[in-house]
Amino acid sequence: MNANLIAVIRALIFIVFALVLCGIIFEFAGYSSLDMFQSIVDGAFLRPGGLAQSLRWAIPLFITAVGVGLSFRCGFFNIGAQGQFYLGAVAATVMATSLNGWPALIVVPASFAAGIAGGALWALWPGLLKLRSGTDETITTLMGNFIANLLLVYVTTGPLKDPSGSGQQSSSRPLAAAYRISNSLGLSPTIIVIAVVVGLLMWLLINRTAFGVVASLAGRNPVMVRWQGAKVWRLGIASFLISGALAGLAGTVEVFGPNGRLVGGFLPTHGFTAILIALVANLSVGGTAVGALFFGGLASAALYLPIMAGLPSAAIDIINAAIALFITARSSHIDRLIGGLIGRARKTP
Amino acid sequence: MTDLIVAVLRSATPLIYVTMAGVIAQRAGIWHLGLEGLMIIGAAATIIGIVLTGSLLVALLVAAVFCVLASVLLWFAIERLKANPIIAGLGLTGLGIGGSTLAAQSIFGSQASISAPFGLPQLGESFGPFAALSVLVAAMPVTVVVMWFLLRRTRFGLQLAACGEHPFAARSAGVSPPRMRLVALGIGGLLAAAGGAELAAGGLQIFAQNMTAGRGFMAFAAVVFGAAHPIGSALAALFFSVVSALGIRAQLLFGNAVPPDLLLALPYLATVFGVWLSGRLRGGAAIPSAFGELRDY
Repeated sequence: MNANLIAVIRALIFIVFALVLCGIIFEFAGYSSLDMFQSIVDGAFLRPGGLAQSLRWAIPLFITAVGVGLSFRCGFFNIGAQGQFYLGAVAATVMATSLNGWPALIVVPASFAAGIAGGALWALWPGLLKLRSGTDETITTLMGNFIANLLLVYVTTGPLKDPSGSGQQSSSRPLAAAYRISNSLGLSPTIIVIAVVVGLLMWLLINRTAFGVVASLAGRNPVMVRWQGAKVWRLGIASFLISGALAGLAGTVEVFGPNGRLVGGFLPTHGFTAILIALVANLSVGGTAVGALFFGGLASAALYLPIMAGLPSAAIDIINAAIALFITARSSHIDRLIGGLIGRARKTP
Repeated sequence: MTDLIVAVLRSATPLIYVTMAGVIAQRAGIWHLGLEGLMIIGAAATIIGIVLTGSLLVALLVAAVFCVLASVLLWFAIERLKANPIIAGLGLTGLGIGGSTLAAQSIFGSQASISAPFGLPQLGESFGPFAALSVLVAAMPVTVVVMWFLLRRTRFGLQLAACGEHPFAARSAGVSPPRMRLVALGIGGLLAAAGGAELAAGGLQIFAQNMTAGRGFMAFAAVVFGAAHPIGSALAALFFSVVSALGIRAQLLFGNAVPPDLLLALPYLATVFGVWLSGRLRGGAAIPSAFGELRDY
């Protein structure tokens, strides 16, 4: 408990640290930082309907972030959530387009299966390269993000392009209304049920199964786990597949829920934010839910700022980035400071 | 053919400067994913500086100062606070993109792009078809050679490599790894500022939001593909620029047989292949990462 408390306090300290840096940047750029933070809190939570909008942004982030958390927990630095998110969305749209006209009871489950499989496959090849050849998964998943982005641009300007589409943004044909699982506000019982089921299953998997225990051990000490006879190979492939599948599911939810179509280059910072959420949450499922709500609130405020408060939405990108700069910090000085504050010095390892 | 070479030189030069920034950081053991952010800070500061002060020299100085400051911030996060360099670097990239957008909007309102009345000096008529290229293009090969000499043939370069590969040994020899990392990131900041300045003020003389469009990450890919050797990585960046230039002309050259977007994915595919191959050849990752964490000393 004590260690958990230290982790939470440390995360909060670094978030405060990041917000101070943001305040300095805002002031330097000629904005009042108090106004800015006030408007962000308004946009995220206080305005009427703000909380619902924050929840709408939080749900896909939560689904992706839970998968990222599992992968990090196993000791695999899969930073390719963005690409897996895109591939899921593309696969689901391809399935829905090719089955167009069939009843929704067939099309929607088939498309979700395709989306989940698309995300999982996009995580599988870096996983195989890592486990078979020791190829660094950080580089392969990062490169995978850029390839997936170009693939998304290709399908939305080529094979899946909506010929009647006007404007600069390329997108696929809109899905039939019967296939949508929510309106454009992006909150519906179906989506909430998906998020809750994902959260419960992942909590059970991590906290109540042998797989979860071995996964957590493997992340801390892979050599010991191998010596004890655990199949690290299977564990690794499973963690890549699950994290990819969940990112693909989040992409599918975006397409079948609020977007209603596949849009070229949509939500370009989704994967990055999901990584931040997993790290802020210290890789726990419950913490991920809280973190997703916080970052979902920021995402909702990013849409609110330019319209209602006349402030640039880049402010939100800066807050996310500043948190990223500090969130993984593990300064022993600060640990000791926290340990002193809660009255019990931290044992040195 | 000449115009293709000019186009390649124009797109390769900013990329190669930023690649050199990544190379020096990588040799000090730092995975530099903040390159994209530094590059856009350099681009924005140059154009905004020219518009506000009317002096190219002041603008370049401002760009250099901001890029070095941002590099010091990254150093503070990863060295003093022991943050993960990959996540912190991505954070620096976000700060650069967001901060440059914010600064441009607060000074000029929400315009699509800011154009400067003049840019970097051009080479001039005596260079024939290359007359319209900026002086930084001509300085680029010199920079690469200087970087090669600095990193491979000087005491400083060897000490830097020691800090990257075996910081404990470096410290035993009386070299301070934190200080060497600070110097590497600082020089990287200057090089990235040059890359950003060339991107924004070399040809078009404009700054647009998010104008680096992933070039910083492509530079990182070039560092990895070139195994952090200055000349190898510069050649990798040049190869990526050729592919990009072909991507733009793909429809002229191949009709619709090769989709240009998929051609643009070639640098990233090549990097994946390169990392896989070097791992196979050496029986381990070419640049062992451990999540990109700095090594203890």
